[in-house]
Order: sequence, then C-alpha cells, then structure tokens
Amino acid sequence: MFFRTLLLCYPAAFRHEYAAEMMRTFDQQLREARRSGGWAAVAMIRLRAVADTLETAPGEHLHVLRQDLMQALRSLSGNPGFTAVAILSLALGIGANTAIFSLLNSVLMRTLPVRDAHELVMLTNPASAGVFIGSQNNERSLLSHSEFRQLAETGMFTSLMAAQSNLDRVRARVDGSEEEIGVRMVSGTYFQTLGVPARLGRVFSEAEDVREGAAPYAVISDAYWRRRFGGSAGVLGRRISIRKGVFEVIGVAPPEFFGETVGQRPDVWIPLSMQGAVLPGRDWLHDAPGKSEKVMWLQVFGRLRPPMTLEQAEARANVIFQQGLAAYYGSALKAETRKQFLDQRLKLRPAAYGASQLRGQFAEPLWMLLAAAATVLLIACANLGNLLLTQATARGREIAVRLALGASRGRLIRQLLTESMTLAVFGGLAGLAAAVVMRAGLLRLVSDTIELPVAADARVLGFSFALTLATGLILGLLPALRTTSVEAGAGLKEQGRGVTGSAKWARVGKLVVVGQLALSLPLLVAAGLLVGTLYRLQNVDLGYSKDRLLMVRVDAVTGGYEEQRRLAMFQELYERIRLIPGVRTVAYSENGLFSGPDSADEVDVEGYVKTGKDDFGSRYDHVGPGYFSALGIPILLGREVTEQDQASSNKVCVINESFAARFFAGRNPIGMHVTQVYGDQRNTFEVVGVARDARSNNVRGEVGRRFYVPLTQPVNAPDSIGYAIRTAGDPAGMAETVRRAIREFDPSLPVTGARPVAEYVSDRLNQDRLLARLSAAFGVVALLLTAIGLYGVLSYGVTRRTNEIGLRMALGAGRSAVLRMIARETGWLLLAGAALGTAAAVGGTQWIASRLYGLERGDPLVYGSAVCVLLLAAGLAAAIPALRASRVDPLVALRHE
Amino acid sequence: MIDPETLLPLQPATFHILVALADRDRHGYSILQDVAARTAGKIKLSAGTLYSSIRRLLEQGLIEELKESPEPDNTDERRRYYRLTPFGRNVALAEARRLNDLLTQARSTGLIPKEL
Repeated sequence: MFFRTLLLCYPAAFRHEYAAEMMRTFDQQLREARRSGGWAAVAMIRLRAVADTLETAPGEHLHVLRQDLMQALRSLSGNPGFTAVAILSLALGIGANTAIFSLLNSVLMRTLPVRDAHELVMLTNPASAGVFIGSQNNERSLLSHSEFRQLAETGMFTSLMAAQSNLDRVRARVDGSEEEIGVRMVSGTYFQTLGVPARLGRVFSEAEDVREGAAPYAVISDAYWRRRFGGSAGVLGRRISIRKGVFEVIGVAPPEFFGETVGQRPDVWIPLSMQGAVLPGRDWLHDAPGKSEKVMWLQVFGRLRPPMTLEQAEARANVIFQQGLAAYYGSALKAETRKQFLDQRLKLRPAAYGASQLRGQFAEPLWMLLAAAATVLLIACANLGNLLLTQATARGREIAVRLALGASRGRLIRQLLTESMTLAVFGGLAGLAAAVVMRAGLLRLVSDTIELPVAADARVLGFSFALTLATGLILGLLPALRTTSVEAGAGLKEQGRGVTGSAKWARVGKLVVVGQLALSLPLLVAAGLLVGTLYRLQNVDLGYSKDRLLMVRVDAVTGGYEEQRRLAMFQELYERIRLIPGVRTVAYSENGLFSGPDSADEVDVEGYVKTGKDDFGSRYDHVGPGYFSALGIPILLGREVTEQDQASSNKVCVINESFAARFFAGRNPIGMHVTQVYGDQRNTFEVVGVARDARSNNVRGEVGRRFYVPLTQPVNAPDSIGYAIRTAGDPAGMAETVRRAIREFDPSLPVTGARPVAEYVSDRLNQDRLLARLSAAFGVVALLLTAIGLYGVLSYGVTRRTNEIGLRMALGAGRSAVLRMIARETGWLLLAGAALGTAAAVGGTQWIASRLYGLERGDPLVYGSAVCVLLLAAGLAAAIPALRASRVDPLVALRHE
Repeated sequence: MIDPETLLPLQPATFHILVALADRDRHGYSILQDVAARTAGKIKLSAGTLYSSIRRLLEQGLIEELKESPEPDNTDERRRYYRLTPFGRNVALAEARRLNDLLTQARSTGLIPKEL
C-alpha cells in the first residue's frame, strides 16, 4: 500500500510499464530486511524509497514531456500551412492584448521610478493640472505656493515637495540656438523627497528655496542630456536661457526618472524660486493679500513622519490648512462669503503611482479595447480549435488504434494539449514581438505628446504568459474532449478512407461557429456605435465654422506689458494682423477657442430668484469689438459688443442662448442686469444682446451658460489674449506669417499656439478616435475570422458528406435542391448566431454607453447594419462550399464508395 | 551507430547496472542484489533509481529485455529479464577504460601509492 501510493508520483506511462516489477522488487527488499535487520532496517528501506522517488519521479515526468514535445513539433512541422496560420493569428491576438495591457500597465499600475514609492503620499488630486486662479470649494485639487510652504514647515513630513502641475513648453536658448523644451518648476526638496539622486553633478537642495530669484540652476533629464549635449560630462556649467532667466546646468537625472507625472517627460527642472524669471510679471509664489485670489498650480507630494498614518496626517494637515485659509481671507469679508471661502479641504492619497491626467482619460477606453481584443483572440482560438478538432477527427483512427493498444486516455489528451500548448507558446513569443510594434502604434494613435516609459516588466510578461496558457488550453479543449469520447477500437470499424468522424463532432464544429457569430456581432455593433460617435463629434456644430480658422495667443504679462498698456496693445496687434494679406477677419478674446483659459463665477441675474443650492455659476469671456460677426456667430436678439463700448461707457454684456434659457426663461433679457460675484467683488453688466450658443472649450456635452463682456470693461484685466483668424487659404500655412508679424510688432511678446482651430478640436477627440479606429479594426478582424471559421466548418461538412450528396443526386435531387439543403442548414446557424449576438450586443454595449455621443446605444441603424454586414460576410463564406456541393458528380462520389 | 564515448561519463548507478549484467542476464531484484553484494552493501539501489535507469538504458539501446525467462524452472515467470547488448558492453568498457585512465594518472602524479 505504502509503495503503491509512492508510485503515483511517476507518470502513468512509466507506471504502466514498470509498476508491477517495482512493487515486486520493493516487497523482496522488505522481506529481506525483516529477516536480517528487523524494524529498523524496514524503516530504512521505506525512507530510502521516499527519497528515491522524490529524486527520480520529476525526471520521468520531464522525459514524458520531452517526448510529447518532440511529437508535437513533428506533427506541427508536418502541417506547415496550418502551423504558420495558427502561429500568425495567435501572435496578432496575443500581441494586441499584450500591447493594450502594457499601456494600461504603464498608465495605471506602474509605480514611480523613485525610492520606496509606496511610502509617498500626495496632498493634491493626481488628475489635476494647470493653473487655477480664485478659489475652489470642497476638495482642493492643487495647492498654492504659500500653502505648500505652510505645510512643509509643520514637521508632519520627513520631507515635502511641490511641482508645477502642468508642463510648460517654452522657447529656450542653448549655446546661441533656440529650441522648444519642456520645463517643470519644482521645489528644492523635489529630488530629495522622491529619493532620486543625480546621475551626474548634483540635484537641488533646500538651499534653492531660500531666496527668490537666487537659484538660477537647472537639472536636466537623461534623454535631453543625450539628445542635446551628446551625453557629455562637460554639460555641467552650461547655460540654458529661458525667458528672463539664465540657468546653469548643475546635474543630470537618472535615465529611468521622468518625474512625478505619468505620461510626461520634462527636459529641464528648475527651482520654483525662479518663477519670476520664467513667468515674468506674475507672482505665483505668494497668496496676494486682500485679493481673495489664490494661484493654485502645484502638485504636492511628501513622506509622512512615522508613525503617522494617512488618516492622522490628513486630519492634521487640514487643521493647518484651515488656519492658513482663515488667516488669508481675514475678517474683512462678509460672513457669508468668508464661510464659502473656508469650505475647502485637503485629501491625502497614497502616491506610489504618481500624478497623471492620462489615467482619467485613457484607462476606461483601454479597458474597453482590452475586452474587444480578448474577444477577437477568443474568436481566433475558436477557429484554430475547430481546425485542430478536424485534425483530431481525421486522426480518430490513429487515436483509436493507440487506445486499443493500451495507451492511456490521459496520455493522449496530454499529448494533444502539448500540441496546442506548443502552438500557443510560439504564438505567444511572436505575440510579444508584435506587442512592441503595436504598442508604439497605439501610443501614436493616442497622442504625439504622451511619453510613456517602455514597460516590459514582470506584470506584462506575466499577463502575456497567462494569456498564452489560457489560449493553449482553449485550443486543446475541443480535440481533447473529442479524444475522450472515442471508444477504444471504435475508429477501427469506421472506413479508413478520407475524412471520417462522427456527425456529433461535426455538430460541435457548428456550435463553435454559432459562438463566433455571437461574439462578432457585439464587436461590430460597438464599432458601429463608436465610429458613429466619432463622426458626430467631428461634425458637431460649434456655432461657427472651424474651417480656415487659425488660433494664435500672445502672453502680454510675460511680454512685460503693464495692466494699463495691455488693452491698447491687444487692439493694435489686432489691427496689424487684420492687415496681413490672406487674412479675412480677426476676432479676439481672452479665452480664445479651444486653446486658452476659462473663467467662471457665480452670477446674480435681475429678476431671477435663487432657490436652494442650485448651480448659479456661468462662464464668461472678455471679447474685442465685432467678435461675434468676425467669427460668424449669429446675434439672435439685440446687438453685439462694438467699439462704442468703452471703459467709461455703460457696462454691457452679451449672453448666450443657454444663459438666456436658464435665467430668463420666457422673459426678454435685453436691458436686464447680470452681476458677476466673487467673494466681495461685484461687477454688474446690462444685457444688450443674445448670441447663438457657440463652443469654445468642450466638444461633448452641453454648451453651457456664458456671457461676454467687452475687453474695455473687464472683470479682471486679462494677462493674455487669443486671436481667431479667418484665413483665405490653408490656416496652418498662415501660422508662420502671423508669428512673424507679431515678432515684428514686438519681439519680446511670447506667442503660443498658432494652430488651426480644427486641430485643437481634433485633439479633444483623441480618445474617441482611438476607440473608433481600434474597435473598427477589431470588428473587421472578428468578421473575417468568423467568415473563415464558417467556411472551414461548412467546407469540411461538404467533404464529409460527399457520398451522401452524391447519393442524393444520383437519386434525382437537382443542383438547386442540394444548394437549398446547404442554405437551410447554414441559415439556422446564422439565425442562431445573429440572435445570440444581438442579445450579447444589447448587454455588452452598456459598457460603452458613456462614450457615445449623438446616438443611443440601441441605435437601430447600427444594429441593422451590423447584422447585415455579418450575414453578408457569412453568406459569402457559405457560398463557396455550397456551390462545391452542388457540383458534386454523383458518379465520382459513388465510385469512391 | 552512436559513439560510446558520447554517453560518458556514466552515472555510478548506470555503470553498476551494466556491470551486473556483464556475466549473465538478470531481473531487476537480481541486479540490486548483485550490486549490493559486489560493493559489500555500500551501494543499495532503490526501485525508482533502478527502473528509471533501466528505462533509459533500454531507450539508448545499452540493454534489451528478454522475450522469455532464461530460468524456465523459476516459479515466477512474469519476471522481466534484461541483457547487456553489444553496444552496452562497448559503453561499459569505454567507461571502465576512462576510470582506469583516471587511476593511472592519479598514480603517475604520486597522488595515490603504486599499491593501494
């Protein structure tokens, strides 16, 4: 009994061969031991048997595996056409899945390449970026510099760092030549908090934070060091001029370090204390007293001083934060206003994964695409599984013989699985290579500006290994099941010629095809919906034409313009641009179109009674004279902003349709008053016109309420201005001309943008484009695979039934009767597939409902087209074998009998 | 024909099995007993080692299984007997030479005395 159990450690084949002999040998050893040495010797024998089994059994298993593998390789190389197609389709399937997963991994699951990333916490919202001026209710997304300093001084953190939340692309001069680089301002504690040392030179220290404007130093990225300085050690001490500052390179960051924000790769880091030199004319380092306006622009990360927990830290940080807010807003404000301003709090989060705007944007689309890619792989597996099943059926005789000769069923299944596993492993290896290429292509589809570190880490490799394993199992499943149902000797009784096999297994093949049809339809429907969404978004009514419209921004503050000189400059530049040959009209405003800031405040509207806690906010913009007519936005009521609206004249505004509908429902707004409210600040404007809704910032969703005030009567004097230039020809071609004109006007005036509005709008549709293109590609591949699968099964069926068809024809059935028979059988398959597929699509499309625009997820046209396309492709695939069947020559078919 | 040298060096257990089969055909237990007797009990093979070696030796063609029992009067005629093939004999000989060469070298350097 003891030894019999031990023997189970050996492979069945080995046991089958030697178990009886081994048992006998063991018994004899035991008997001998009892005679000579008593119980101690017996125990010794048993102990040795255990040790011996542990030593030799693994080797025997390996031996069997090697045999199976050799046989699998022989069998695969004996069928090179099938093997090549199988490996190629698996490579594409596994590659696509791995590529998408590796992007998800980079965006969602990779920790920052810093020391002990899991100990990092962040006090700001990882998805936030930009500059917010004013105040924010509830959870604070970014911090001001003063707030960061207050928190840093508390001693709650062993170290705390701040980094500019957006990446500035600025023109810089290096060795006399000008280039655009990515610059991020960071606190002196930045590298030390993250635990990142310099690979060359030194990184910043707290000394850089001490005196404003006194740390003209730069740390550059490894990539920039190689690209711009050829990786030379002589880079230390070189100078980079950025706007009003000249920065000495003091160090190079390690190669894998990209900063705290996933998806961005700054070229240069400079100290926050140099903000004044990089953004001259602005003070973003201090909360301006008495203005009630904070500049919130920093991401803040830190390491907690042990043994403090995240919850304790959050509570304490909020106490300090509240004290700071109370001191800043002072007691001059009205009680109600003050209460509103103090309604802010910090949320602390683990920060191992860093900040990222990509995560919110692309995680969901990527998960959707991964689901689609997995479905395609499943369809491909079904095809190959069906082919392997056909082979197993063709090998039914061989299998039956081997069973009859005493081969164990388990051994045969194991061998078939080894074969499918070998295919999968080759497919998986090729898939890894394909994934590298696909990932690069995917990234380019997503955006040109996103930079993600290449991530072939353990998780991605593990994913693709697991996928390969699953693929191999799915592939081998059908043939293995087929084998288990063969009765020993059964195949021997069947005819030995051609393709033989039971009708039952032909039915299984058909079921697989129904499954493929049912899986393809949801993919086609999703592709239809997403492509439809993209089409609608691309053609969304902006309220004006985006054709031949160029957007250019100038930054007056950085250009050194005092507040009182700006308005005149904006006007003068407007006149200049208007005179450029090829320019039709020019409209200018603070926010511009799809490229500038946005402003929003609470409003008090005359005759509108506020109730409850509704949203009383509205966006607003400062516009130049003739803004609406220049852009082509119709004025529905009253007049637009004109040159008559001066600083000294009556303060006026134009509201949009949404504003009118919300606050003036059923009333005539003309002559009524709208008051902008921020803290204790109030600006009242008389409504002189209603303009059609126009989009200037979002493509999706509602246009939203907006009012437009003349630049001459500003709520706050704008820092920068955007010119929307309607051109006679290609707007991109005019960009350089306009830039040059602005440079001639004032060389120190920084120009940003200079891109067609159509491009900005197109940028907003990146995720939609990615989804539409890839889902369409997956849909087409699924359709093709399914058609091939159907063709294969029907074609095999016709071959299998050549005799039967020949007999029918010999008995008088005509060609059309044979065609009808095949059509009837195929029709049922298609019907069942389409019905199941529709059900799957209805369930599946709820996952993409949030991505749709302008159509419902049950859009009948999309469903109808998807079903038609599927049936058409299936019909074509079925036609070939059906025609072949109708051409069966009864004489030839029967002669085979 | 495979060159016997390519199979060298043999594992000790393998060599002992070949040696045991050199003078006569044996079944498994008899091989064990012979090895134990020749090594004065120092080497006691276990069933697992014995039969996985036998499996390998059969595949490599060093031994073969006899169709009939060479001891017809044996009560247990289901025993499986093994015989050394000419190739197996060559391999065992090559291994013996290799070991002898090693000894000669060790003697020539004075590591071991002329007479052990």
